[in-house]
Amino acid sequence: MRFYADLHLHSHYSRATSKNLNLEYLALWAQLKGIQVVGTGDFTHPSWMKELKEKLEPAEEGLFRLKDQYAKATERELPAACKGEVRFLLTVEISNIYKRLDKVRKVHNLVFAPHFAAAEKTQKELGDIGNISSDGRPILGLDSRDLLEIVLESDPMGFLIPAHIWTPWFSALGSKGGFDRMEDCFGDLTKHVFAVETGLSSDPLMNWRLSQLDPYVLVSFGDAHSPPKLAREATIFDTELSYPAIYRALSDRKDKGLIGTVEFFPEEGKYHYDGHRLCKTRLHPKETIKNNGLCPVCGKSVVVGVMARVEELADHPEGRKSPNWRPYQNLIPLPEIIAEAKGMGVNSGAVQMAFTEILNKLGNELFILQEASIQDIKRAAGSLVAEAIQRSREGKVNIEPGYDGEYGHITIFSSEERESSEDQMVLF
Amino acid sequence: MADLNSSQHQAVHHSGQHLLIVAGPGTGKTHTLTQRILHFSQRLKDQERILAITFTNKAAHEMRERVSSQFPQWQDRIVIGTFHYFGLSLLRQYAQRIGISENFKIAAPEDIAEGIKEIWPQWKASQRSEILEQASRWKSVEFQNSPSEEVRQYQECLQKKGWLDFDDLLLNPVNLLKECEDVRKEIQQRYRFIFVDEYQDISPIQHQFLKLLVGPESHLTAIGDPNQAIYGFRGADVKFFESFTEDFPGAQATSLSENYRSSPNLLSASSQIMAQGRSLHVPELTAKIYTEGRLVIHETPTDKAEAEYVVHQIEKMVGGTSMFSHDSGRAEISDSAARSFHDIVVLYRLKAQRRCLEEALNRSGIPYRVTEQINGNPEDLVDPFSFRQFREGDNAEKVSLMTIHASKGLEFSVVFIVGCEEGLIPLDIAGMESDREEERRLFYVGMTRAKEQLFLTRSGRRFLYGKSYENAASPFLADIKEELKEYEKLQQLKRKKRNEDQMSLFS
Repeated sequence: MRFYADLHLHSHYSRATSKNLNLEYLALWAQLKGIQVVGTGDFTHPSWMKELKEKLEPAEEGLFRLKDQYAKATERELPAACKGEVRFLLTVEISNIYKRLDKVRKVHNLVFAPHFAAAEKTQKELGDIGNISSDGRPILGLDSRDLLEIVLESDPMGFLIPAHIWTPWFSALGSKGGFDRMEDCFGDLTKHVFAVETGLSSDPLMNWRLSQLDPYVLVSFGDAHSPPKLAREATIFDTELSYPAIYRALSDRKDKGLIGTVEFFPEEGKYHYDGHRLCKTRLHPKETIKNNGLCPVCGKSVVVGVMARVEELADHPEGRKSPNWRPYQNLIPLPEIIAEAKGMGVNSGAVQMAFTEILNKLGNELFILQEASIQDIKRAAGSLVAEAIQRSREGKVNIEPGYDGEYGHITIFSSEERESSEDQMVLF
Repeated sequence: MADLNSSQHQAVHHSGQHLLIVAGPGTGKTHTLTQRILHFSQRLKDQERILAITFTNKAAHEMRERVSSQFPQWQDRIVIGTFHYFGLSLLRQYAQRIGISENFKIAAPEDIAEGIKEIWPQWKASQRSEILEQASRWKSVEFQNSPSEEVRQYQECLQKKGWLDFDDLLLNPVNLLKECEDVRKEIQQRYRFIFVDEYQDISPIQHQFLKLLVGPESHLTAIGDPNQAIYGFRGADVKFFESFTEDFPGAQATSLSENYRSSPNLLSASSQIMAQGRSLHVPELTAKIYTEGRLVIHETPTDKAEAEYVVHQIEKMVGGTSMFSHDSGRAEISDSAARSFHDIVVLYRLKAQRRCLEEALNRSGIPYRVTEQINGNPEDLVDPFSFRQFREGDNAEKVSLMTIHASKGLEFSVVFIVGCEEGLIPLDIAGMESDREEERRLFYVGMTRAKEQLFLTRSGRRFLYGKSYENAASPFLADIKEELKEYEKLQQLKRKKRNEDQMSLFS
């Protein structure tokens, strides 16, 4: 069967996350978004692990479902049109901070476990070497390679995916805390890594420019710190619904189970361009080079973003396709589209209400963004929203790229367009 | 032979009978001692004639590694271990000669505490442990006198059970070598080249042991730094360092004074500490590292705030430990200066200061490791291999937490010494008085661990053992010249703190 998976997210036990990042809301939002397989996140955290064991029950091999008694809690918030099956898969993100080749490296890695016994084995190993109780995404002074070894020893089907590999501060290839080559990061165990997460600020097109990434499949996940951020990016599978099938789709190049990804527009990501957030300096990599890497406001080195870093390590011009390439679709989150159509803030009540309404009428967000007919959307949400979705599907949008932790800013309409729209009366 | 500067070279190749090497912090003490051992080993057909005595098992382990990395074939031939380890190996061979059964058992402190209940069942535990302290003092310091009645009873109890305590591993070998001339001669013949590390911290019984081991044809090398003598409270006596040339006639002294560890300003600061103290005839150190170091002095209102300050500084120098610390503007260090967790140590005078620090570190999620001092575990002192297992299981990088005592011999890029207050440094709170000069040396030991950054922090108010203290700054701080000190700007910190509070509203 065809399904979406979002396997990078956090529980409320991680730093700076929403209080309602619990299993009930994750299951609810997975259905609102149209995701069938969600990561649990944070399985090394003792309290979260306890909650997982209490509230989940085994479903297909290596996958779990929320017990009925807990699923009921959010039933009323779930539109009938969005109702679907949700499975959980045991995951955790580890923040590895350590010195390697004379530099401090900060690499985030996603770890996957095929069953609770393997997750608990990893949990115990990591608990012996660091603090796993204060943060759902533990900070460990552990070499990425050594983490991979622990994961591989936890179970033959345990695996690791380097997270958002281009993020400047915390990633395998990042400009600040990363390496120039995957081999430098994972050493003799590199061959056991078969997938990399591209992160919000890069899309496959950018990653295909590096031959060194050819051995890997590219995956995308949402890295949600609150339930509504689920499925900002996701990976599409068409295979049996089970952990081993997902494992095969990612690791076996002959397997056809991995279909592709849905992606942010990379410009919308927080680290696409270079710059200084506090100085409000946003620089295209070419401008950075012109300025000798310095911020024109404060004179210190700018934070070099993903675009420049890809350019630095790329050995092919843009447009090349990697031998293992899969198709992908750039998306803008539906609430942002509605907000843009209405000319209102994304967190405003009107936008939230309109979001709920369109889901009630048409179904989950990923369906609406990609598959629903523009006619149906027009009927459900008005012609501006329909037009906005049409334009986002075609990539006809305007984005001020993100930089130094600041998200990019998307505009789809000019203000004249909004005002002259036929359903203006309805909206205002 | 490996890289040696001219004074190290001189120390390694010195050919007189006995040699005392005065080696300040960061002068390559262990390297020089190891090279001297290897220098003699290469000239010998039989490396089993070499005996190297270290202060801790960890040091023994490290020396063994150094030897085996150059000459793997020698690692089992050269005897390397603590005084206790060597004493035990003598007893294993000759115990019966002094009336000890060959089946003797080394009793763990817990067993002994349990065992002596039989002698004084009606006493409080604290009274019994006082007797144990008395016994330990007698065995390591006052062994020339006859023991008190209680100590005598305690000895009887051990004998009945066939037990030896820790201090017996030194006292019995001393008695053995004293009483049995043949054994003494044999041992003196066997170990012709003896090396002793950390000589400033040897105790009277260890000194006695050594005098019996050194025969007319032996060559003794002792190395150490009288400015780092910090175990007087345990019976060690720095006077043996000063009397070396009289104790071992014909001995000569040399010194290492080029420091390869600390940046020049940190080195100046630590030597200003010692310059104000009792002169111990140690040559002034010269800096051989030219990086720019920082000496930061910081005061906080409470011990909790002090711990938060430390954590905040660590986050800053690692360059942010989470996205969160980036987004809130916490991290602001350039990546070239970024530190890893294992570059950092937090030192404290008393274990009781540790809790606050652990709480703050736990809140932040920064990985840390508490390094316990070696003091009570028999295996730790006598089994040179026990350390290896401890170490190999865990290679993750962490911030280190330890007492200043436990930091001797180690070095870190960044050192925090917390609680730089009167009453703690020098230690002078009810029931814990100490020798002021030894405390000065202890502070010196802590300061000289730092390669590039040294933070001396203190708190206006502190809770210790259920009591609140309001302490002034440590008097030692005034011995450091103002121009070397950097004070953290309070204003800036306050503003940051407010930002963090605001951030936490959204998380």
